[in-house]
Amino acid sequence: MQAAGPTLAGTSSPTSAPGTPWSADLTPSRPVYDGRLGEIYAIYLRHLALMLVTLGWSRFWGRTRIRRYVWNHLSVLGDRFEYRGRGIELMIGFVLALLVVAAWSGLMYLVWLYVLHEKPFASFGLFDLFSLSVVLIGFPLAYVGHYAGLRYKLSRTRWRGIRCGMAGSAWGYGATATFLHFANAMTAYLLTPVVSVNLARPRIVNTRVGTQGFAFAGRAGDIYGRYLGYYFLNILAWVAAAVATFMAVGGTLETLGVSSDDFLKLFAHPSLHTVVVLLLVAFGAYLLFGLLILPLRCWWQAYLLRYLVTHSRAGNVLFATAISTWQMWGFLVLNYLIVLLTLGIGWPWVMHRTMKLIAGQLWIYGAPQGSEIRQPADRGPGYGEGLLDLFDVSGI
Amino acid sequence: MAARYYDGVTADVQEVTLKITSHELLIHRPAESDVLARWPVADMVVLGDSHHEAVPPLALRGSDARLVVEDPVWRSQLVSLVPALKPLALEPLKVAPRLGAYSLAIVALVGLFWSAVEYGTEYAVPLLPYTLQAKLGETVLDELLADKETCQGRAGLAAINRLANDLAKEAGYKHEVTVHIVEGGPVNAFTLPGSILVFYSDLITQAKDSSQVAGVLAHEIGHVVHDHPIKGVARAYGIDLLFKVLTGGYSDILSTFGTGGGALLAMRNGRAFEREADATGVRLLEQRGLRADGVSTFFEQMLQKEPSDAASAAGIWSSHPPTRERIEATKRPATGRPAFSAAEWQALRNVCK
Repeated sequence: MQAAGPTLAGTSSPTSAPGTPWSADLTPSRPVYDGRLGEIYAIYLRHLALMLVTLGWSRFWGRTRIRRYVWNHLSVLGDRFEYRGRGIELMIGFVLALLVVAAWSGLMYLVWLYVLHEKPFASFGLFDLFSLSVVLIGFPLAYVGHYAGLRYKLSRTRWRGIRCGMAGSAWGYGATATFLHFANAMTAYLLTPVVSVNLARPRIVNTRVGTQGFAFAGRAGDIYGRYLGYYFLNILAWVAAAVATFMAVGGTLETLGVSSDDFLKLFAHPSLHTVVVLLLVAFGAYLLFGLLILPLRCWWQAYLLRYLVTHSRAGNVLFATAISTWQMWGFLVLNYLIVLLTLGIGWPWVMHRTMKLIAGQLWIYGAPQGSEIRQPADRGPGYGEGLLDLFDVSGI
Repeated sequence: MAARYYDGVTADVQEVTLKITSHELLIHRPAESDVLARWPVADMVVLGDSHHEAVPPLALRGSDARLVVEDPVWRSQLVSLVPALKPLALEPLKVAPRLGAYSLAIVALVGLFWSAVEYGTEYAVPLLPYTLQAKLGETVLDELLADKETCQGRAGLAAINRLANDLAKEAGYKHEVTVHIVEGGPVNAFTLPGSILVFYSDLITQAKDSSQVAGVLAHEIGHVVHDHPIKGVARAYGIDLLFKVLTGGYSDILSTFGTGGGALLAMRNGRAFEREADATGVRLLEQRGLRADGVSTFFEQMLQKEPSDAASAAGIWSSHPPTRERIEATKRPATGRPAFSAAEWQALRNVCK
């Protein structure tokens, strides 16, 4: 496919190790996705029916079937991807993760028996001890699961018959991610660019297609200016929305003949009905604010994605995307609403939209030297995604 | 017959032509006579099938090499020559009938699942080992009472436990019931799995007479003999599982949504349980020839204190039926023997002293 792609950062002065032959061929192409929505739905609804029969235990096989469909309907440079994972591998991963949690529960029970002597501390009892400890280990384990899940998916993915893979330590990634997210929360999210770049780097540079690695040349400093703009605009937008709502509510109350004293009395002696109504109003306001303010977030997210993609490369192959704020809104907000309003039945539609977005917006410049990419010796993990399944909400 | 060939060693892609004989597939470059590879037909496998893969790759058993035949006509020809490669070109399935069939199956299965949760628990829950229920109840009780004072008056506790067990036996209940009394409020009582009842002392001190405490106790025994606490847990778990399964377990947004729906259903279950416990409590008192008007007078007293009736105002969000409805359903004449002797009632009033 020949087409004019978006401006590519770094194409005029590509960075290569000295002595590396540079391929001048930077013909642009895009991935092609030829999946059909009806077909995905047929696979997904069969999966749902089996889930009901097996009380959810068929999900490993259902997920595998959906991946096989999606992977094989996506091609790069004319060659389709293959997904060779098996449901049983996912189930083994899940059972192993369950055993980890069971062992942890056993440990907490011992703490309950021998440290707390079966006596709750204030109202902090066995259930609280277990729940709190699972939440505490769940945060880092979710990040470990993310990385390990990605490694599993890549190890079961082939392109031109060559296995993909992922190097690096999932535990190391989990520790880094936990630390960075904690530090970010402690600094009022001012470290977001550092977190984004430093968590994207290991995922990108450790990805392999056979023996071909990826490189990432991004730096947090490059994107700080845009982030600070987004950060302060976001605060301003929230303040403006809050003031506007406050004024609108005040005005409405006055037109209804409700004085501020009456209004305060409502709060002094709230009935259950008042509380429920207030909660619903608060939820509605949150949704409305979210929809108004989310475009700003999409503006930042689109910028971040463009930055991460254009600063990644695989040998002589460069990448770019011109994804716009509006497209990111469709990806983040519209997809969210589709899943929410269809009670989950819209999930295949979201997946289909996402694949079409990737195919439409990812530009690939150049082609790899096939003969230089060799089959890796490593076959990847024998099982997968157990931690991801337990501690995180994983998609397809 | 043209195809793309990947040798499984490098990521090189080669456009090739195929020639098939009775026992092997010959792969060679177009316009070249040299054979690139020979694949014995018996060792050829299809990876996947054409219902999932757009183009299922052909592979040689034990090798990473792949052949991809994009043209569906050629794939069909290959299958006609080597029937073992059938998954390469399966009969295309019509999407609309499949969507219809699976949708109907899902609706029917949801109905079945729902019935199993709603009615199956009625029969399945009593089969749960009682020791497990008791352990669960004791653990919850320990946590609930951790920072609270319990009343230890022996005679009072003996009186309330005596009546509780008499009523349970009247219902044919086999396990021993234990009543705990917590000092203070609210004016309430509840039941835990494992036949554990918890009364708050404010309920006893604010009761106008012993028949009200006996009425509330009989109501709680109604929960015990119908296994309501453990049925509630089982139904909540079943409904939660149904939501998770239906939403594919993929979305945290939907889990939140599901939790809200689950809470509503739990409230509905709660209202049904309360009505059943009210009816059973009154029946048990009448069967033993005891005064059975205590529940309704207790509710009347509650309603006088709070005329707005929180249960009625909350509607579907309430775990209890509207109080007026409960008064009407449990109204009985003030006849029959007192449930507690004068000495027992006195001891019970002083249970926290």
